[in-house]
Amino acid sequence: MNDTHQHDQTEVIELPQPTASPMVCAFGFALMAAGIVTNWIVAIAGSIIMLVGATAWFMNSNPHSREIEASPEKKPRPIEPRTGVVDHLIEDSSHRARLPLEIHPYSAGITGGLIGGIAMALCAVLWGWFAHGSMWYTVNLLAGTMLTGYADMSMAELYAFHTEGLIVGLVIQAFMSIAVGLLYGVTLPLIPRGQIMVSAIIIPLIWSGLTWASISVVNPALAEHIEWFWFICSQIVFGVVTGWWIVRTEKISTMQNWHYLERLGMETPGVRDMGGES
Amino acid sequence: MSVLQPPAGPRTTEGPVPFLSRLHEWVATTDHKKLGVMYVTSGIIFLIIAGLEATMMRWQLAWPGQDVVGPEEFNRLFTMHGTTMVFFVGMPVLLGSANFLIPLMIGARDLAFPRLNAFGFWLFLFGGLLLYFSYFGGQGLYGMGSAPDVGWFAYAPLTERTFSRGHSTDYWILGIFVAGIGSTATGINMIATILGMRCRGMSLMKMPLFVWIMLVDCFLIVIALPPLAAAQILLLFDRQLGAHFFDAQAGGSALLWQNLFWFFGHPEVYILILPAFAFVSEIIPVFSRKVIFGYPLMVAATVAIGFISLGVWVHHMFAVGLSPLINVIFMGSTMLVGVPTGIKMFNWVATMVGGRIRLQTPMLFSLGFLCQFLLGGLTGIFLATVPFDWQVSDSYFVVGHFHYVLFGGLLFAILAAIYYWFPKVTGRMMSERIGTWQFWLLIIGFNLTFGPMHVSGMLGMPRRIYTYQLDRGWELWNLLSSIGVIFQLLAFALLVWNLLRSVFKGREAGDDPWDAWTLEWSTTSPPPAYNFDEEPVVHSRRPLWDLKHPDDPDWRYE
Ligand SMILES: [Cu+2]
Repeated sequence: MNDTHQHDQTEVIELPQPTASPMVCAFGFALMAAGIVTNWIVAIAGSIIMLVGATAWFMNSNPHSREIEASPEKKPRPIEPRTGVVDHLIEDSSHRARLPLEIHPYSAGITGGLIGGIAMALCAVLWGWFAHGSMWYTVNLLAGTMLTGYADMSMAELYAFHTEGLIVGLVIQAFMSIAVGLLYGVTLPLIPRGQIMVSAIIIPLIWSGLTWASISVVNPALAEHIEWFWFICSQIVFGVVTGWWIVRTEKISTMQNWHYLERLGMETPGVRDMGGES
Repeated sequence: MSVLQPPAGPRTTEGPVPFLSRLHEWVATTDHKKLGVMYVTSGIIFLIIAGLEATMMRWQLAWPGQDVVGPEEFNRLFTMHGTTMVFFVGMPVLLGSANFLIPLMIGARDLAFPRLNAFGFWLFLFGGLLLYFSYFGGQGLYGMGSAPDVGWFAYAPLTERTFSRGHSTDYWILGIFVAGIGSTATGINMIATILGMRCRGMSLMKMPLFVWIMLVDCFLIVIALPPLAAAQILLLFDRQLGAHFFDAQAGGSALLWQNLFWFFGHPEVYILILPAFAFVSEIIPVFSRKVIFGYPLMVAATVAIGFISLGVWVHHMFAVGLSPLINVIFMGSTMLVGVPTGIKMFNWVATMVGGRIRLQTPMLFSLGFLCQFLLGGLTGIFLATVPFDWQVSDSYFVVGHFHYVLFGGLLFAILAAIYYWFPKVTGRMMSERIGTWQFWLLIIGFNLTFGPMHVSGMLGMPRRIYTYQLDRGWELWNLLSSIGVIFQLLAFALLVWNLLRSVFKGREAGDDPWDAWTLEWSTTSPPPAYNFDEEPVVHSRRPLWDLKHPDDPDWRYE
């Protein structure tokens, strides 16, 4: 206490002296503006007020800014250091860890997506076979996303085999499966708990909701014939298989702890010791 | 002028201070903190006024053929609502928070030019009063008063004397012009402060992100506001002195106004939303207990947004009929803004990933900001696409879009900031319980009001109509929008109640209630007039972290 008191006496904190001149100046300026739409007398009055304010302002800051001595107020509480309470994800790193520390390889996402896509297609085709007696039915419905004529097909035509329908259906299924699988692969390591739950239930439900909202625009043929229960089931099959495949692959650590030269792919013996794990 | 020295410390006197000297203390202050409080308080008052104006409009539109207000009054309502929200709510809150926080965050005792700062505030306040005086003086001595009714962007030549009689448009010009000079002055003041008055050790790349974003924001203010002032003076010449700048029949150009206005108007949107980015960039790390993800990239994205936003204004003019080449160029530049903005979104999310998230009110409102601003940004990408814009231009879809950006985005971030920094400003905590109620009421009310607007807009409902017929299929969507307002009114009543109650009765906050890391939390709450006893010295972006955790300081990693 004693030395803070001494400190107060040695150092004087100066602050600008309070002054109403800026306010007066601003008020005069606003009145000048108001004069344009009211009466010229208002403008004259405004300019006089502004001049008074500006003069006071000038006097207040010239030749030296007028200062007053600040009277001391309450002091902040000193900050108490706390040691040993910080969790470290990587010891001895040159930077703060960026999450996730480990990811599934991108290839796991791609293969997972493909496998999930095959499983999903199998289920969908089997369902078409049992429910409608045609294994090409679901393929044709899917192909309707790109082949516009499919919206007007009769049931018999939809049951029949079409080469271009098969090719287009396969391409769509493969592309979507790989893209979604890749997204799964990138996202799942970011989810702390319940990855299978997210991949098997939550994402398929969100995806189904998106489809529900947009299907009449994207694929009128499918919109007409879709049976939502089985559609959602097939999404869940994809989610389960893809999620399972990705989660069971071994994780690899990200390159965040590597040395810059290493990330460039250069052979630099000895660099590892500079910050990375060995 | 005698060198009179009034008592300096406001809180040193024992016993109650008489009202007049209290008033004098505020009127004559050059303290950045007091000015910041006055800015934000007047911003909140204008927010309530403009909110009530919107309530009148939603009441009128709740179902077809209503007769709550007439067409002329409706025009005044949407004009005053938009003008107030942009110039007298958004601007003062951003300038006020910059005022209060920047000197504290950079370890300075005040702004570079404290008196100019006071001048800026008073110009803003008198500008706002001048605008609202139009309700009494809008038609001069000719008859009943009336407010401006030309929309917040006041398209010429509809604002020319021929089409807009009386003085209401002049009041719109003068009120904003006066306030605009103040904002420009304060913008320059902020830039000078940030570039010249940082404490020892605080290099540019060690500034808190709030300060960085506000720096870019103030550059935008200084660049974008003068063209507006110029356009307004030209219009004033047309109206008062018989000039013909925007009078197409006499060789003037109607497009000139649109170009000048939107050259200000689009950057203005970013001037308003950047502070929201600034708020959440401080709040999300503290409430995730993690350092902000990708600080250098956040700085780069801010600067990029600043640059790009100066080159996109024509997307407000796609429906004018400019050449396809121009439309395509500005469509491209507009889409480009999505990249740095997307980077920011990802970085905020990445900051939360793996963090120990504390769901207190500042964080709740920040999360509301993230979700709703994302939606507003996505519909913004729709609108940037020329053919889509042609379909829904000037419809309620646009109204829905920009309210998701400015209300769901900016206002939610402002609320987050109010809950976060209120303890620093007043020394007392706001009620978490009332705050949580307010948050959920506002989430429901906001989405109920502005979500359906996208639908009514797609169904062809034009903005700014004062009523509509029964058979258009817009009834349900309008009714939903209006019902949402009830929830919003409740939410804002709770906010006002929470603010008033907490100022007097709130729990004592202490210096650092959130266990935060930037310099403003190292001084008392409220801070003394001189901010810091001694000039702080910093070694990293989180100086308080370094002090609290000497075994694991940040400067080791930056
Ligand atoms: Cu714009």
